Amino acid sequence: MTTFAAIARHGRGWLVVLGLSSLAGTACALALPALLGHLVDVLVAGGASGRWIALAAALIGLAVAADMLEAYCATACVAGTSAWLRHRLVRHILAVSPGDGRRFDAGDLVTRVSGNTVEAAQAGVAAVTVVAALLPPVGSLALLALIDVRLAVAFLAGLALCAVVLRAFTRRTTAAVGGYQHTQGRIAARLAESLAGRRTIAAAGTVDAEIDRVLAPLPELHAQGRRTWQVLARSVAEAGVAGPLVLVTVLAIGGLLLVRGRISAGELFAASQYAVLGAGLGSLTGVFGQWARARAGARRVLEVLAVAPPPHGRRRLPDGPGRLVLRGVTVRTDDAVLLSDVDLAVPGGAAVAVVGPSGAGKSVLAAVVARLREPDAGEVLLDGVPLATLDPAALRAAVGCAFERPVLVGATVADAIGPTLDRERVRAAAEATHAHEFVSRLPLGYDTPLPDVPLSGGEAQRLGLARAWHATRLLVLDDATSGLDMVTEMQIGRALTGDHGHRTRLIVTHRAATAARADLVVWLDGGRVRGVAPHAALWREPAYRRIFGGGDTAAPDGGRS
Amino acid sequence: MKRELRYGAAALRRRPLLALAAWSVPEAVPATVSGLVVARAVDAGFLAGRPVVGLAWLAGMVLAACVGAAGARGVYRRLGDLVEPFRDELVRRVVTGALRGGVAGRGDPGALARLTRQVEIVRDTYAGLLVVIRGFAVTVIGVVVGLLSVAPVIALLLLPPFLLGVGAFLATLPMAAARQRASVHADERLADAVGAVVAGARDVVAAGSQEHATTMVAGPIREQAAAERALAATAALRTLCFAVGGWLPLLVLLLAGPWLVDRGLTAGAVIGGLTYVMVGLQPALHALMSGLGGSGLRYVVTLGRILDADGPTPGPRSTALPADPGGSERSGLVVRGLTFAYGPHAEPVLRDLDLVVPAGDHLAIVGPSGIGKSTLAGLLCGLLRPVAGTVLVGGRSAEALSRAELARLRVLIPQEAYVFSGTLRDNLTYLRPAATDGQLRRAVAAVGAEELVTRLGGLAAELHPARLSAGERQLLALARAYLAEAPLVVLDEATCHLDAASERRAEEAFAARGGTLVVIAHRISSALRARRVLVLDGALATVGSHDAVQARSPLYRELLGHWARGAEEAAGTHGDRHEKAVPDGCRSSGTAMLGRG
Repeated sequence: MTTFAAIARHGRGWLVVLGLSSLAGTACALALPALLGHLVDVLVAGGASGRWIALAAALIGLAVAADMLEAYCATACVAGTSAWLRHRLVRHILAVSPGDGRRFDAGDLVTRVSGNTVEAAQAGVAAVTVVAALLPPVGSLALLALIDVRLAVAFLAGLALCAVVLRAFTRRTTAAVGGYQHTQGRIAARLAESLAGRRTIAAAGTVDAEIDRVLAPLPELHAQGRRTWQVLARSVAEAGVAGPLVLVTVLAIGGLLLVRGRISAGELFAASQYAVLGAGLGSLTGVFGQWARARAGARRVLEVLAVAPPPHGRRRLPDGPGRLVLRGVTVRTDDAVLLSDVDLAVPGGAAVAVVGPSGAGKSVLAAVVARLREPDAGEVLLDGVPLATLDPAALRAAVGCAFERPVLVGATVADAIGPTLDRERVRAAAEATHAHEFVSRLPLGYDTPLPDVPLSGGEAQRLGLARAWHATRLLVLDDATSGLDMVTEMQIGRALTGDHGHRTRLIVTHRAATAARADLVVWLDGGRVRGVAPHAALWREPAYRRIFGGGDTAAPDGGRS
Repeated sequence: MKRELRYGAAALRRRPLLALAAWSVPEAVPATVSGLVVARAVDAGFLAGRPVVGLAWLAGMVLAACVGAAGARGVYRRLGDLVEPFRDELVRRVVTGALRGGVAGRGDPGALARLTRQVEIVRDTYAGLLVVIRGFAVTVIGVVVGLLSVAPVIALLLLPPFLLGVGAFLATLPMAAARQRASVHADERLADAVGAVVAGARDVVAAGSQEHATTMVAGPIREQAAAERALAATAALRTLCFAVGGWLPLLVLLLAGPWLVDRGLTAGAVIGGLTYVMVGLQPALHALMSGLGGSGLRYVVTLGRILDADGPTPGPRSTALPADPGGSERSGLVVRGLTFAYGPHAEPVLRDLDLVVPAGDHLAIVGPSGIGKSTLAGLLCGLLRPVAGTVLVGGRSAEALSRAELARLRVLIPQEAYVFSGTLRDNLTYLRPAATDGQLRRAVAAVGAEELVTRLGGLAAELHPARLSAGERQLLALARAYLAEAPLVVLDEATCHLDAASERRAEEAFAARGGTLVVIAHRISSALRARRVLVLDGALATVGSHDAVQARSPLYRELLGHWARGAEEAAGTHGDRHEKAVPDGCRSSGTAMLGRG
């Protein structure tokens, strides 16, 4: 179990060095003013200063070394810990059931992996820093009091004044910045619109007018930007007045003490330096802020790690045709039942269409069958073996799944189809799904980097199909051909229904033509199976026909008129 | 690095810069007098047993702080005069670059991030640099002046090691900039890789390729950590430079102490000297280092990316030409030997295509998706340059025509309809700003958008593009194109989000509009309405009337068959599902459609 403490402990080697070096650095910083003050007294008195100067040089040397070590260790510790956390997170994200979409969306997860891990990795460093940052101001205060208690009181009074000014500063800035950001957002929104319509703009030759339109709020942004500087100017001025007050108060009280002979000139100098060091108390809020951010970041990272991955077994599939059985499968969200006690038996090698109105649970069924989502109750068996007991590699070799909106992952097109497949098999899969035609027109064919390929919905679907094509026992298509044009859909549909007996195919579809080509149709409604029969038999029911009403393939305009 | 600094320096305007310098003088007063005040307060006041004099000197310090604060206020107000025009220029540059690039066909997913995040970073760091560099100069000058008034010999002792430290730090900057750049790139590569894998988690699991996906991310994670460590090393090096510039002067002063005291230097003068180092030089050096090492590097790296992505702001703008009456005779298209490929190693999308579309024709282009229909539309409209061959629009070479001339000859409506924030009228008159209300109403009525216009609140209503459905956007784009004066209309799947009935109405309106109509068909019914059909099938093209193409193109027959079967199956009378050819029923419905269109 990973905890905040475990994250903090991960870089413990670095943390020990960090702690020791910041301790040494603080000790030097605190000793130095006293030493310098003493030196001043010795110098003025004409005493032997050599030993003291050597000591000062040694202290400064130590302080510098400690500083350097501290700077490096902190970053190295955070870098190492974030890398470790990122690895763990990515592995974990890929291990939990991805179809269980209720927890995190993708953008959120990316923030957690790239951003929150760094914050969380600060855990150890932040813990050390909080202690290390407390020492100099607290130590200075103590040493001021040691010289004379009245100096410490004067110091605290000066500090309180500073804090008031700094508070006012943050409040006003936030208000001024809000308007500026709003206008900036408007410009960005206009640019986004124009970029989305760039083909129209190119054809109309109106790019200059578009630039003017996008930039129209620029004068407003300019005025608001100026206002933020004015607010800042005021705050800076206030800080400029308030800042030296601490030093002046301490010097005044110290001077009076000097007149009465309570302290030496050197001690006055030391006191002034402790006043400067002690003013670091103001920056403590920043240190605690870092600690708070580390905790918040760790919480977001740990939330992801807390989701348990689904169980896996070690079993392999016996020989079989790909007979698919669902027993009492139920899937719920917090406030809805998506699939309710579904029992289903699909003969091996059959092509089965899954149809139903939107929200009937078709995609959930596909995800459960492809083991992308765990049922809350019930089980799915393939050739008699529960999917949950299968070896993960055996499961993925046997079951393939293609989606309506596939997300292609890989460096190149070939990678996206099958990172472990040789080129011939990649090409064969692409040819079977008619992706080869457009892939071969890409600048580097199958080696074209994926980011350089502007894919239409239909093209992405064809690559997604190619990726799933290798499945040996069961192929699940979740509305996976909806973006294809008529010809390609027909060709792929023929390839799909044509390879009789090789593997079972479960095809979620909105199209009557596809349902008609299948051996069997599973009709879902409200998370329940309403009927299992060939298309022609179900077609007699008006409610079944209504599912396809209004679809362009099912009822083209010729049929309607 | 030099380019970014030069760019920033060139943007500085003289007058605000002079004002900034002038306000810096009072701002420097506290730094200048700090050591002097302490020295006098001790020597003439507290040590001399005259506390009132000492306190008076300290009051002088508060006064100096007030003068300094007034100076700082002036400085920051003037900062807006320098920074905001610079930011304006960057916004203009990013917007112009992104739009020009976008129009030239370069997709640019980073443009919005540049406009919001990166421009802001440059704005803040540019201001930060101005503050830091100017503050450093002012403090150093102030300290030197102060030291000279306390004891000139101290200045001679302190400055050489101080300047040595500054020089050493400046020498590390190019390396630090390179590492900063590497770190930013590593961050982005990591975010990209994680984004790709996480967004595709479902697909990765479905394909069982977790190992491959993890490896995709492992490299960027490792590189990012290495880049961070490299940055940490430069930070440590910076600390060393600070030791030289900040601490060495102090030691030099202490070592020279006995000698100085022998020559009559007072306790106050020594304390003053030490104060100048610790309150003046050290903070100034620290600010310079963290300023240049932090903001400065971020400025260089971020501005570098903006300058790389968005080229210099453009030269002369094209001026709008007057409308050209009688253009309808020049609305035909002649295509000869047209060949186009997306790269030197790519299969050509189109090979040696010949096509003549006489003025007044109605042509439908059909074929599987990804076969190059949109590419052909782009070529016909002069948006893409062919690898070989020519396109003549209205008898003139598309390549030789300017964008404005092309815009008067043809209008292209792409699949992704462009609707922008503005009034409905502005959106509709986009291609014909001088259109009258009557013309507007006729165009809206012709494409069947009246109901939509009413629902949106009339012509003066403000549009919120995000609230419109894809079909509504297409309908508005169609009305806009109908209103345009260009005689040649190219609809590139411009009706794909409309239902079949609305599509027919729109296409019939354009056919009746006069001029030439080219329709990239989304549904086969578009072909049945056209006078002639071009079937693209790989590099093979067949053109002719519906009947002629049906006789010659197996693909076209297949398309018709599929369409017909879809209709039949919906009617529940599907026959043998392996049947390829088309029964008679389809043809007749096809002919019926053709007759109507």
